[in-house]
This record gives sequence, C-alpha cells and structure tokens, in this order.
Amino acid sequence: MADDERRDGDAAERFDGYLDALLGDGRPSPEAVGDRDEAEMARMAAELAASARTGAAPDPAFLEQMRLRMRAADSGIDAVRVPPPVREAEAVPADATRRWRLSRRQVLQAGLGAAAGMAAGVIGVSLTGGSRRPSTLGDDAPLVAGEGFWTEVARLDEVPPGSALRFSTAAFDGFVVNDEGTVRALSSVCTHMGCTLHFRPDWNDLRCPCHGASFDLAGRLANGRTKWRRDGAYPGDAQAYPLELPDLVRPEVKVESGAIWVWTAQA
Amino acid sequence: MSSGPGPFERVYDAHVVPIYRFIYARVGNHPDAEDLTAQVFVRAVEQLDTSRDPGQIAAWLYRVAQNATADYWRAFYRLPLVGVDHVAPGWEPADESGPVVEPDERASVRVQALLRRLPDHYRRVLELRFLERLSVAETASAMGITSGNARVLQYRALRRAALIGDPTDG
Repeated sequence: MADDERRDGDAAERFDGYLDALLGDGRPSPEAVGDRDEAEMARMAAELAASARTGAAPDPAFLEQMRLRMRAADSGIDAVRVPPPVREAEAVPADATRRWRLSRRQVLQAGLGAAAGMAAGVIGVSLTGGSRRPSTLGDDAPLVAGEGFWTEVARLDEVPPGSALRFSTAAFDGFVVNDEGTVRALSSVCTHMGCTLHFRPDWNDLRCPCHGASFDLAGRLANGRTKWRRDGAYPGDAQAYPLELPDLVRPEVKVESGAIWVWTAQA
Repeated sequence: MSSGPGPFERVYDAHVVPIYRFIYARVGNHPDAEDLTAQVFVRAVEQLDTSRDPGQIAAWLYRVAQNATADYWRAFYRLPLVGVDHVAPGWEPADESGPVVEPDERASVRVQALLRRLPDHYRRVLELRFLERLSVAETASAMGITSGNARVLQYRALRRAALIGDPTDG
C-alpha cells in the first residue's frame, strides 16, 4: 500500500507537468506522459480542459493569418502548396533599375511583412514598365513567374558564407543568404502562420518566433518530425517541430558585378 | 483584382471556427488547436475539390480534422503516425452529405455525465482544477489537503475517469 502511494506520488508529480502546460494553455509535451494508461488520462484531461471553455474562440490574429494563406491559394500560384525548386545563383545580364534595401535594424511590422511575402511571387500582375521574363523551368514552373523585375538587394561582400541579410522590395520581404558559397533568396515569412523569421547565425537557420519552426538555408523545414527523427536531434532544437511545413518561397537570384539581384513579381 | 473571396477563402470562412472548436475540444489547448487547424486547411488547399457540394466539403474537413487529432494523440501513445491523408480506423461519417453534429455540446454533456459517475473527492478535484482552473496549491487549500496529495488525487481521478469513459468518440 505504501509502495502504491509512493509510485502514484512520483507518477502524479511527473504527470502534473502535462497538466500544467495544458491548463496554462501552453503546448503539452508527450514527454510527461509515461505509458498508454497515462495517454488515456491525458486525453481525458484535454477533454475536461476544453469542456470548461465551451465555444472557446480561436485567436483573431491566427484566423486572419490563415485567411491570408487561403487568399494566396485562391490567387492561383500558391505559396501554400507548391514550393519552387531550389534555384542557385546564376549569371544573367542585369535589366533592372531599382534597388531597395532594408537596414539591419529596420523591422517590418509582422502582419504587413506576411502579406507582402505572400503576395510576392504569388501574383503576377502587370506592372507598367515591368520587364517580361520568359519562364525557363517547364513543368517545374517557378513560383516567381510572369511579370516582375530584378532588384539589387545587397553587395555580395555584405553576405559572407554563413550569413544572411534582410531585404525588402515593394513586393517582397526576405533574406539573402550565403549557404557555404551558394547565394539564395528566401522569404522571411514562415509557411506555418506567417510570422516573420529571424536568422540565427549559431544554428545557420531561419527561426520562427511564434511556434519554433526552423528553416535551413535552402528554405526547407529543418526541425520537422521526419528529419528530426532520421538525423537525430536537430542541433538547434530540443524537440521536433510537430508539423511538416512547405518550403519557404524562393525567388530567383543572380550575382553580377559583385551585387546580388533578386527577381520579384510585382504585387 | 477579383470581386469577393475566392473558393478556398469561402470554404475557410464557412468552416474554420467550427473546425477549430472540434479540434480544441479534443486537444484542450489553443497552440495545438491552431497547429492542427492550420494543417486541415493546408490539406484542403492541396486536396479539396471546392466544387463539391457543401455537405461533402464539411464532411471532408471534419474527417481530416479527426485524422489530424488522432495523429496528435498517437504521439502520446508512442504510436507511428499515419498522416492526415489516411482515414482513421473506425471513423467514417455516417452520411457524407448529412449535417455535422455540433461537437461542443456533445463533449460538454459527456463530461458532465462522466463527472457525475465519479466519487465525490475525485469529482471535486477535477472540478477545481479543470473547471475552476485553480492551481494545484489552490486546489489543495480548497480541499484542506497537501499539494502532494492534491497531485495524487487528480492523478487517480483522471485514471478513474479515463477508465469510465473513452474521451474520444473515435
């Protein structure tokens, strides 16, 4: 009997970790759940917690961000489901004339950034004076297609290997990254809910502050369940990100005369 | 550019709140409910034919939501995930075009019935913790017991509750 007490006491203490997260409206971890019986208890607890808040309303910010994604899907080419093939830097003659840069300190308001990143490359709207660019990718149609222009976003020497630099054009908010010599442009908008990503030099990833998704410098989810399990613990993260996410939007880039140019469709 | 919302946005507007509640009722916390809801609608963009009739669309969304929550719980049971593509075993809508039962009401009624079947002190500790949202310390103080005892009591109460009623209707 005393043994029962002690065993239940230890289990109860550990299981309370699950309940604390659940009732604090955090994200409960399966780690606090020891066995099948406790998994049943966790489900019961989740249902009890939910029933006390019948009709609990979703967060309006969440709803709005999801709506933007649905709108992007409706727009035809679609940031939600069709990640473009990775395009490496290539030498193409410059034909653009504009240059916008976001200073390192300058931060776009997150919602606007999400909308801008979503629109860029998703909608090819005719721009007076915009240049027409032939599509070269056949069936693997690039996300960035149709009408737009090349924009110089950084000098190559500003982005040494293993670094990233924020840039912003009228239509697009992103990073230019130097992945061990390969220059790419990546959207700074997380493909989960549209939060703005931050570059973490220590982990060489783009990290979402909202729910902890990490993208590698090719724009792929770096800490998803599959990858996390296969490769062992992702070094930048203690546990797997629970969802698989689409790749980040990757507009085409070119390096020319020591400058990095990014192709963006005009929103 | 165009007039009014497109088909995906219309489907989203019509269903996101009930789908969210359906999921929330099964996971009990907002961060996970948001993730799973996002998963459902991302899947909709990939696979849903928006020209299907509204009843079929609703049934499809609830089926994907059901599978997403089933997968969520599989992680707790240490079971392999099946992915939201697959239909959860034992769950099929009785009638694809029929109305979907409002999940909130049903869950709440079931929880009440379940609590009634528990011994008094078990029911009390669950009510204080889950319905009143008291901390362990506050619950202990309200019941005149130690925090350690309150933890054990809630643990046993949940174990008993889980034995009485399968929390999901899957």
